[in-house]
Amino acid sequence: MGLVASSKIRRATEAMVKSREYVASVQSVIERLASSRECMRSPYMQVRSSELSRTRIIVIAGDRGLAGGYNANIFRFTAAYAGAQFIPIGKRACDKFGEGILSAEHCTAADISTLSHRLCAEFASGEFDRLGIISTRYVSMLSQEPFIQWLLPLTKADGVPSSGTILFEPDEIDILNAAVPTYVTGLIVGAVRESFTSEVAARRTAMDSAGKNAAEMIDRLQLQYNRARQGAITQEITEIVAGAGN
Amino acid sequence: MNTFRLKISTPDGNVFDGQTAKLDLRGVGGELAVMAGHIPFMTAVKPGVCRVMDGDGSVRRGSSDGGLLNVSADGTTLLVGCFTWDE
Repeated sequence: MGLVASSKIRRATEAMVKSREYVASVQSVIERLASSRECMRSPYMQVRSSELSRTRIIVIAGDRGLAGGYNANIFRFTAAYAGAQFIPIGKRACDKFGEGILSAEHCTAADISTLSHRLCAEFASGEFDRLGIISTRYVSMLSQEPFIQWLLPLTKADGVPSSGTILFEPDEIDILNAAVPTYVTGLIVGAVRESFTSEVAARRTAMDSAGKNAAEMIDRLQLQYNRARQGAITQEITEIVAGAGN
Repeated sequence: MNTFRLKISTPDGNVFDGQTAKLDLRGVGGELAVMAGHIPFMTAVKPGVCRVMDGDGSVRRGSSDGGLLNVSADGTTLLVGCFTWDE
């Protein structure tokens, strides 16, 4: 299992890097649009309430266990948002929170695009007030941490360079409204790829330490076995010698 | 034919990154085409077909689920959720 995880790490890291590039490009465009005054009227920029009952949170966990504390850390983190409506991605998350996208490893951008278009339409029509994602940040091979990021409503970023002489067709607000589902898709895909990389890294670390523990245990048991065997032989010889002496 | 750099980017990586003579697609304001020397421009793209013409005149067709088109002096970027070539 450790070997399988090792071979998956390279592919997972490549996918994560590609999605990060995409997220950075979409984010810079959205920030530029969101900083314009006209876009303040967009339904995606309306801050309504932060009540948990009107909050939806996408939870990304693994498809399998035996990945150290990977799944447990995510579920512990979700406890702080009890009362929100959870949308699970990954088999373990679906087992806990109900229907969702079953596989975090094999879900495609098209699956996520369908989900994000639906969520954006529901957000715009006022069915819920906040959308977040709980996923795992890949810090290094040895360290991964769960965190939450809020996708909707969009927040106005400070210090964004002005649009200069860019021509917007038809205007900023229409572009923003049409581009938000793409932005949400990008962020969810980015979070899924990063979480999967964290999962395989956590699994490899867990399997490595399990392998080391097993090797130590084998050494200790081998020593016990040899002692017991030696003790039994010594006792038998003592008995034979004692018997011969009589 | 003059060419410009086009990048079609999806969350799973770049589907296309190279020199192009013309890009045809459907924006929110209607059908549009981008050619070399276009002014800095941004629009939202509707789901549907888009055509990429190479410098030698050959055309490739693909479909996207909609997204953003950003034309700048550094090049043209089409950011979409998913994209597939029709072939």
